[in-house]
Amino acid sequence: MDIFKFLFAPILAAAMATGPVSAQDQSVALSGDVMLEKATVGSDGSTTTELVEPTTIVPGDRLVFGTDYTNTSSETVENFVVTNPLPEAVRLAPDAPADLTVSVDGGATWGTLSGLSIPVEGETPRPAEHADVTHVRWTLATVAAGASGRVEYPAIIR
Amino acid sequence: MEHAPFRLAAATLALAAALAAGAAHADGVSAGTLIENTASATYDDGSGSVTIPSNTVTVKVDELLDVTVTSLDSGPLSTGPGSAVLTFEVTNAGNGPEAYTLTANPAVAGNDFDSTIDGIAVDTNNNGVYDPGVDEVLTGPETTDVLAADDSLTVFVLVTVPTTAGDTDTSDVELLAAAVTGTGSPGTTFAGEGVDGADAIVGATGAATSATGSLLVGITDVDLTKSASVVDPFGGSGIVPGATITYTIVADVRGSGSVDDLVVTDAAPADTTYVTGSLRLDGAPLTDAGDTDQGSADATGISVDLGTVAGGTSHSVSFDVTID
Repeated sequence: MDIFKFLFAPILAAAMATGPVSAQDQSVALSGDVMLEKATVGSDGSTTTELVEPTTIVPGDRLVFGTDYTNTSSETVENFVVTNPLPEAVRLAPDAPADLTVSVDGGATWGTLSGLSIPVEGETPRPAEHADVTHVRWTLATVAAGASGRVEYPAIIR
Repeated sequence: MEHAPFRLAAATLALAAALAAGAAHADGVSAGTLIENTASATYDDGSGSVTIPSNTVTVKVDELLDVTVTSLDSGPLSTGPGSAVLTFEVTNAGNGPEAYTLTANPAVAGNDFDSTIDGIAVDTNNNGVYDPGVDEVLTGPETTDVLAADDSLTVFVLVTVPTTAGDTDTSDVELLAAAVTGTGSPGTTFAGEGVDGADAIVGATGAATSATGSLLVGITDVDLTKSASVVDPFGGSGIVPGATITYTIVADVRGSGSVDDLVVTDAAPADTTYVTGSLRLDGAPLTDAGDTDQGSADATGISVDLGTVAGGTSHSVSFDVTID
């Protein structure tokens, strides 16, 4: 991963932990990354899409934010939930999975986008749109010992 | 990555990328903005609920180079031979501060004549009208100040229409604006030349674009024709003392334009006397006094102020004198 131009912030595990758990007790490792989706038009006119390092990005570009998780412990973990606030400078891409669990109110309430709405002062609420999404979330009942996986969401730079 | 349960189908991605390609627009995120993404995970490991964050990945938004140029003239600019001013607006359609090099091209295919470019000026006092001596005329290479993202600048192209231009001739003048950082096909990248050391990348406009302003020549001539008819006291047409001469002056305005402040004057000839109250415009009497109607007359002669007269119209002024 260090070939990418990413800045890695220190992991603030102690501050974020809700239980009396020290760092060495953590059972799961998370690793985030971001890629730029680049469309190239071939000589025959066909368009191919590939994920590349986001060395140059501008408004309108499409990014894919991913998080790899690994259960590094010897025990199964339960109620595994990955939550990802969207950076302000991006909006959820219109073709994000329709069944993705999202929030449009800063993480207070959750659901699929089609089931959420945005309050409009003095009027009936309007249906929520992709650009309204503030958080995305994935839930797994269990992650077995040693198992790993990846979650990701596509976003467009505003 | 051993498993990707939430991965999208490749076909869907390709479609979305094609849609997104045209989605960049002027009010995008500013160049230099940092996009920081951090996920967190909560789980139950048997001893309680645990929340851990991921690392934060950060990417910086690069500078998009885009520009639009539009003509602010509502249609072809009516002008005669001589100076004319075409008005354009240059807008920074990118997401970072950028200056633009301006080039005016008077030789556009299809022109009836080519005008001469006298200069390119910016609307220094922002009133939308070219004010000589106030609005700065750029010196070559004509380059604007740095425009913030989404900002616009009104630009005047100062031209001279040659005297060889004929009535109803048209001529286009093209104004090209090109980003100083660089231009090229969309996607061309200038490494490190954007805001805060970010890259600069050419947007959909190629970072250079032009607009056309049009000149329409209106040349208007006034042709005056004077005629006289005589009635003598004996019912004939002898030029004898006491005979009345009626002078008629026809003003023909020709051409596609109009003339302003057209005034027809004539002096009563020597050895004649103006007949008071005889002044007429298009057959209708005018008073001799210098009052609200167009005409005035006295012993020395007559004057009729026709004001602005459109090409293709004609007016007739007449008055009587008696031979002394």
